[in-house]
Amino acid sequence: MLLKNKLAFITGTNRGIGFSILEKFASNGCNIIAHSRKKDIDFSNKLNLLEKKYNVDIKNINFDILETDSMKSEVYKIFKEKIPIDILVNSAGIIHGGLFQMSPVKDIRKVFDVNFFGLIELTQLVSKYMTRFKNGNIINISSVAGIDLSTGNCAYGTSKAAVIAFSKTLSSELSSYGIRVNVVAPSLTDTDMAFSKEASKEREFLLNSNKPFERMASPSEISDAVFFLASENSKFINGQVIRVDGGNKF
Amino acid sequence: MSNIELYKNAYVESFEIEIDIVESLEYQSIPEWDSVGHMVLMSTLEEKFDIMLDMDDIIDFSGFERGKEILLKYDVKI
Repeated sequence: MLLKNKLAFITGTNRGIGFSILEKFASNGCNIIAHSRKKDIDFSNKLNLLEKKYNVDIKNINFDILETDSMKSEVYKIFKEKIPIDILVNSAGIIHGGLFQMSPVKDIRKVFDVNFFGLIELTQLVSKYMTRFKNGNIINISSVAGIDLSTGNCAYGTSKAAVIAFSKTLSSELSSYGIRVNVVAPSLTDTDMAFSKEASKEREFLLNSNKPFERMASPSEISDAVFFLASENSKFINGQVIRVDGGNKF
Repeated sequence: MSNIELYKNAYVESFEIEIDIVESLEYQSIPEWDSVGHMVLMSTLEEKFDIMLDMDDIIDFSGFERGKEILLKYDVKI
């Protein structure tokens, strides 16, 4: 119960890595503000079950990460409750693959809007709130694509590289307020996103390999790393990137 | 506590200074009001007056007197 009575704000929780993080945190006693873009009955039911199973509070909050006004309005409602947010996990994101010469700039811009600018806008709001309590822990989900920056990553990879660069400078700025900032960089993970056409090359390679670490990560392997960074077990780790990739590089 | 008292106390608490000097303060006029201290002051004001300051106002918040004008935009009359 390393997160007992903490409050975490997690974005993109309705599926994939975000949902796995939500479940991991809840199972460790953490109360959660679970962001998803839209209200969904099935997801609400899932959250109710998790609340009962782990005896925690989970509040679903809905806004499009691209819509500033709606983000502000929803986030301010939380701030009005004056309960410290201990942990922010920026997990929401979209994938894109394609050679630069075949990627319209408007598509690249959209990837950056969601993966980078949406993230920094929310972080600006929440980190200011965390400053009030001189305590906080921010974990941004990037990708190994943002480190390796191989062919076809002119949008997704560069947006995730921006997340890493941003996190490093933010960790330096926010340390004065007792707020840590770290990054988890997963490789291809067994989620819906991994089965999009953008991830087909990497996916096919991993699915056809029989070596133990040449496989997709499971969402829980990613949330294990996020959980570590969220806990006091990592209390002196700041401004770092943890690759969770089985040692694979593409 | 009146708004002026809350306002002055925000400076005292944020910068750990004596109350008698707050009225003359400008951004960076004392070592405590640096960029780090500025954000502490902003979050303290938000908490005391139950408001959320816009980024433009945080940047524009250049001193004790200017701060009073900015807070008026949030219906906080000092």
